[in-house]
Amino acid sequence: MRGTLIFIGQNIRRASILALALGGIVTLCTGSSRAAVADDTIKIGVVLPTTGSESKPGQYQKEGIELAIKQINDAGGIMVKSKGKKLKVEEVFYDDGTDSKKSASLTERAMSSDGVVAVLGGYSTALGTAESVMADRYKTPWITTGAGATAIFGKGYQYAFGSLSPVALIGTTSAEFLGSLMDQGKLKKGLKVAMVVENTDHGTDYVQGFTDWSNKHPGYFQIVLNEKFELGATDFSGILQKVKNSHADIFLSDAHLPDYITMHRQYLQNGLHHQMVSYGARGPEANARQALGAGTDYIFAGIWWSNMLPYPQAKKFATDYKAFTGHDVDSWYAAPAYDGMRILAQAIAAAGSLDKTAIRDALKKAQLKDSVLPGQVLKFAANGQSEYPFVITQNKPGNKVDIVFPKDAATGEPVAPNPNK
Amino acid sequence: MDAVEYLDLLLKSLLLAGVYAAMAVGMTVIYGVMKIVNLAHAGFLMLGAYFALEMFQRFHVDPILGSVLALPVFFLFGMAVHWLLIRWLPKSDTPTLASLLLMFGFWLVLQNIAYLIWGNEDQSILTPLTLSSVQIGQISIPKVNLVVFAAAVFCMAVLQIVFHRSWFGRSMRALIQNPYAAQIVGVDDQKTARLTFGLGAAFAGFAGGLLGMLFSFSPDFGRPFLLRSFVIIVLGGLESVSGVALGAILLAILETFGINIPLPVYWHGWSFHYLPPSYQQVIPFALLVVVLLILPKGLSSLFNRKWKAA
Amino acid sequence: MVGWLKTILPWLLLAVLLLLPKTNPSDNLIRLLFITAVWTTTSLGWNLLGGMAGQVSFGFAVFFGLGAYTTALLMHAGHSPYFGFIGGAAIAMLASFLIGLPTFRLRGPYFVIATIGVTEAVRVIMNNLDVTGGSSGYRITEDQPFSQNEHYYSAIVAVALAVLVSTVIANSKFGLALRAIKQDEDAAADLGVNPYTSKLWVHAIAAGLTGIAGGIYARRAAFFYPGDVFAFQTGISILLMPVIGGIGTVWGPVLGGVIYGMVEEEISVKFPNLHLLIYGSLLIAIILLEPDGLLGLLRRVFRLFPSQQAKTKLAGNPG
Repeated sequence: MRGTLIFIGQNIRRASILALALGGIVTLCTGSSRAAVADDTIKIGVVLPTTGSESKPGQYQKEGIELAIKQINDAGGIMVKSKGKKLKVEEVFYDDGTDSKKSASLTERAMSSDGVVAVLGGYSTALGTAESVMADRYKTPWITTGAGATAIFGKGYQYAFGSLSPVALIGTTSAEFLGSLMDQGKLKKGLKVAMVVENTDHGTDYVQGFTDWSNKHPGYFQIVLNEKFELGATDFSGILQKVKNSHADIFLSDAHLPDYITMHRQYLQNGLHHQMVSYGARGPEANARQALGAGTDYIFAGIWWSNMLPYPQAKKFATDYKAFTGHDVDSWYAAPAYDGMRILAQAIAAAGSLDKTAIRDALKKAQLKDSVLPGQVLKFAANGQSEYPFVITQNKPGNKVDIVFPKDAATGEPVAPNPNK
Repeated sequence: MDAVEYLDLLLKSLLLAGVYAAMAVGMTVIYGVMKIVNLAHAGFLMLGAYFALEMFQRFHVDPILGSVLALPVFFLFGMAVHWLLIRWLPKSDTPTLASLLLMFGFWLVLQNIAYLIWGNEDQSILTPLTLSSVQIGQISIPKVNLVVFAAAVFCMAVLQIVFHRSWFGRSMRALIQNPYAAQIVGVDDQKTARLTFGLGAAFAGFAGGLLGMLFSFSPDFGRPFLLRSFVIIVLGGLESVSGVALGAILLAILETFGINIPLPVYWHGWSFHYLPPSYQQVIPFALLVVVLLILPKGLSSLFNRKWKAA
Repeated sequence: MVGWLKTILPWLLLAVLLLLPKTNPSDNLIRLLFITAVWTTTSLGWNLLGGMAGQVSFGFAVFFGLGAYTTALLMHAGHSPYFGFIGGAAIAMLASFLIGLPTFRLRGPYFVIATIGVTEAVRVIMNNLDVTGGSSGYRITEDQPFSQNEHYYSAIVAVALAVLVSTVIANSKFGLALRAIKQDEDAAADLGVNPYTSKLWVHAIAAGLTGIAGGIYARRAAFFYPGDVFAFQTGISILLMPVIGGIGTVWGPVLGGVIYGMVEEEISVKFPNLHLLIYGSLLIAIILLEPDGLLGLLRRVFRLFPSQQAKTKLAGNPG
């Protein structure tokens, strides 16, 4: 009998601790229901990674969207005709943890049950593609601010939009930039190019864009190496050896930030040198310059936005962003997200109602005339993707970055060939 | 490729093997004594890197010294983790699912804490050593890799001495060989387990600091290294420090050379092809499976068998 | 009384789940139940091998992914999705033999680690395979409009099948043999059980269930890629569910699947900054405080308030 009592006694203690813990979690979960919020706001779902391997760019994009929302709300909100008044925007944020299963699931959740009128998000192609499926399924406008692979948009989707220009254009613009240097005589024609890109859609599109230009303009480049590497590799010495043996004059890569840092470290340590070096859409990031110091000087990058763009609205965005987040705008990530939110707000106002299809129709016609992005106008092509020019930036000594291409946006002269030894 | 280039690659992979060994050794001692596969190892590596970074940024401590300082700090941390969590696990002489998942849960907690403290920046440690290299003829060897290699080897040598000369080391080895007999002759298994876990964590923190000098890191850091550590300790036979060194060398060499050696392929006649670099990461895991099938007790069983025969 | 309730309850639950769409529930509820059913199916599958036979595998992502890809490829070739699910199961079973034949010769930690190696190798290979779109992933396009309920029903049927298979195995001679293997492989062999073939078969059944789940998941997700379905993380998720719920039982994995499918998403939505911490702590708490999982906890709670009959039994059994 005593044994039983002790047994029960232990049970009570252990069971109650665990039950308490579980009960706590369940209460926390059911405590505040999102549906209870008053309906005189416009809910916008934001699905981005703020944990996991894409968390940094995801964070920047989140900040860009939140800045836009803050500015819209400070101005009183968006005028919605059908309601007869200005409504404030309410962000419903979801962290997908850089897991595409979750991205899709959370997007679906936002569209089907959390009452949002549109969803922004999807940083990196894989996560964005997983989300894109949901837009047409729930007839809810979805704007990806961070997935630029063309594969997402070729599917006849009616509700999917993107505020990034196609990735292939980075390759094309890079080729065009190098070609212009050859025309100017800064580089010799017919240089050998080694390409080592990440094994993703992003990498594939980049190579595609570059080779397309190169094929159309014979005599400029000779591609001597074209290899892919797996994301998150730790040792690049094998692949860099191949680069060395290819005796290329130009080294082009396309990589995520951590891989860019690791690969370029090993590149420098191995004493490699090329006339021009690029890591695709990566280059001017603060974390990279901190990791590599002067080693990143003269790297050029094809990016969607730069704080060096000479437009007043771009300058204002950079200042506002710093005031809002407390840190400088880092590379391009925040800008397409900021404009993605702004064009959505404009479309909602144009639609004059919170009807999702009306907003979609308005998005198709929308033109953001004071866009901070290159070209100063953001609009969507028939397939939903936007197409604006890229800028080529080049890192200069002393943490400086200059736009070096196209000519009309340039803030400095391109330095070629790379004087680093 | 000519001979000098192969030599160059060989040297680089050997240097890499030093860090690999340091990173796997912590996992091995914990497995050997406690039969726990420490999935939180990746979390310790990540914290070690941040420890070296904080020491470097706040107190201008050289990251090599910072990594060495991580040894005592993570030793205490590991003992605390053992006291707090691991001692409640039922004892077992094979790894239990409970221990695996406990450590996995702890890894998630560590990651979240790191996100709260440091955010999701891709951090890195840049010292004057980082980008310079020693030039020997045509071969250039990164200085930072040399220093990291030296530190790793030195600490492993110290560990080996502790393992063989101290009372604690003897208790550990006794527990590895036969836990029951060890307890009969008076080894305090709880205390030894606590110290062992501390030691494992200490080496993880140390290796984390070294990895932080070579790679950029964020709170998500460590996953690929966790998987590599698995491969290494299995190649090494799970329980011996020398086995780990051997496993690390083998892994590093195969990873580097796997894509630089032409392989014979039969496709409408024989020809030689290189393995595409995008397949590079298959090498460690394919190696793991193959070795397990041929030598279910790891590489060092080859040598042990010979020694026993002699 | 209690025994009668126990047999009727699962059927009641199934009936409720099947009739649910008639009551016009929210899309979100159906979606959550769909996800829960898919994960519960994998959880039950894993539990057959890991829970009943005691062979811990980190490699179930391989079967999940193969199920997804096979279904997608078969649908692309013009077959019905249901044929695709069956095909997915078949390919997963085939793969389970390929993996099991060599690795089941290994014991304990070596088997666990081999399964990790296999998953990672398969993931990288699939990332490079052009036939399946490589790292770009695969997209399923269906001509018919999206039907929430059709997906839901197929997942419910799959999970019912998984429960049925688990119950049958748990109460069969085969199930006894598996438990004997879990206790002591050598002793089981002495009793006339062939551990090697038993493990191979239960692995195949588990893989088949996981393959079906993968196919059903893929059809609804409509897009997936190797870094997702073949990820190490997917394998870990599949194994966490039965552990959370209660390993080795039939209903534990179901409970775990429900927690994973419903609670985990709630946590990550409500606490975007703390979800790893909460989920990790929950895991630690369950393992340290209640090794038999939540089902064990429920049992304990009910034992605290035993019926009269059970009380006399307890009293008659000192200690």
